[in-house]
Amino acid sequence: MIMNKERQRYILFRIFNENKSKFDQNKILKAIWQSIWRYFGLKEANKTGLWLVELDLENDYGIIRCSHQTKELVISALTLITEINSEKIIFSPVKTSGTIRSLDKVKEIIFNRKKNS
Amino acid sequence: MSYFESRLRINFDNLEEIRYRLTFCEKLGINHLILEPVNNSNNLKVGLLNKIKKFTNINLYYRFNLRPNNLNDFKKTLKKFNSFPHILGVETPDKEIQIQAAKDSRIDILSFSNEEIMKTISIGVISLIKQNNSFIEFSLAPIMMKSKRIQSKNFRNLYRFTKLVLDLKPNYIISGNFSELYHFRNPRSLLSICHTLLGMSLNDAKKGFRDNVQLLLERVKHRVNKNIFQEGVKFIKGGDNDYE
Repeated sequence: MIMNKERQRYILFRIFNENKSKFDQNKILKAIWQSIWRYFGLKEANKTGLWLVELDLENDYGIIRCSHQTKELVISALTLITEINSEKIIFSPVKTSGTIRSLDKVKEIIFNRKKNS
Repeated sequence: MSYFESRLRINFDNLEEIRYRLTFCEKLGINHLILEPVNNSNNLKVGLLNKIKKFTNINLYYRFNLRPNNLNDFKKTLKKFNSFPHILGVETPDKEIQIQAAKDSRIDILSFSNEEIMKTISIGVISLIKQNNSFIEFSLAPIMMKSKRIQSKNFRNLYRFTKLVLDLKPNYIISGNFSELYHFRNPRSLLSICHTLLGMSLNDAKKGFRDNVQLLLERVKHRVNKNIFQEGVKFIKGGDNDYE
């Protein structure tokens, strides 16, 4: 039987925190997984197909990939993270897209705005 | 039009704090914001509001929340708010005041933001709000708790509340109402939480964050416009001449 290929979504998120030097990729990924487990459990976690595509701590942004059906779930999990190792942090989803190319355009707009301000 | 953060409490005496918080909201991508004076000081003066407007590109609106101690107190304070140009809300656990507020056309929002106040909601009050075309408000601030036990309790209360409101179909708005800076979130993200964890459909959640807030702002605009007597009835200047 031919299965339809699962569609994917890329979520661009910005990171706001007081002290960015304290975080690395492992800690952030662990926090996202913990949040998914805490609020949605194993049953939903196994459907997400979560993948950290890009993480730029210099420019405070990241791109995460998940299945299109669990997009809202992953956004909720990102939103509900308030701290990592007692350090306050916000993951704020900016844009969701089906292709990584369109996220690049949004990224450019954000960084141009950042440079101008 | 993008989503609204319908309640952000700010100390209006501290301009630096206002600037800092508004800049932070702008970074989070919030485009529409309704501000409320934190200590309930009635100082929504035009000069101050113009100053605040210069701090940011966000579309700002204002609201005022009454927290009366008893019914007489409520009736007395309400007299000062005839044709109030901003959004007027009431937040109280007292059922008598809730009923009176739901009946009064000067009150725009009956707020159930606090988890203690949320428990006092009744079907009668919701029905009165629906009749009067005013709005019911609940906030997502109680979910930002570190303790898992209290957080799950608050989720349960919010779930019951939203289910009741959605069944009875009054106008409702959903606000963040976060007091701590690092609890602020973009309304689009809060919409996702309503959908995934509170069991609301995406359309219902969008109503609470966008469509109903626009209706609320229109209601306030109509109140300021003296030519509009009630919903659907507008006095048109020179209208008589047209028929002569």
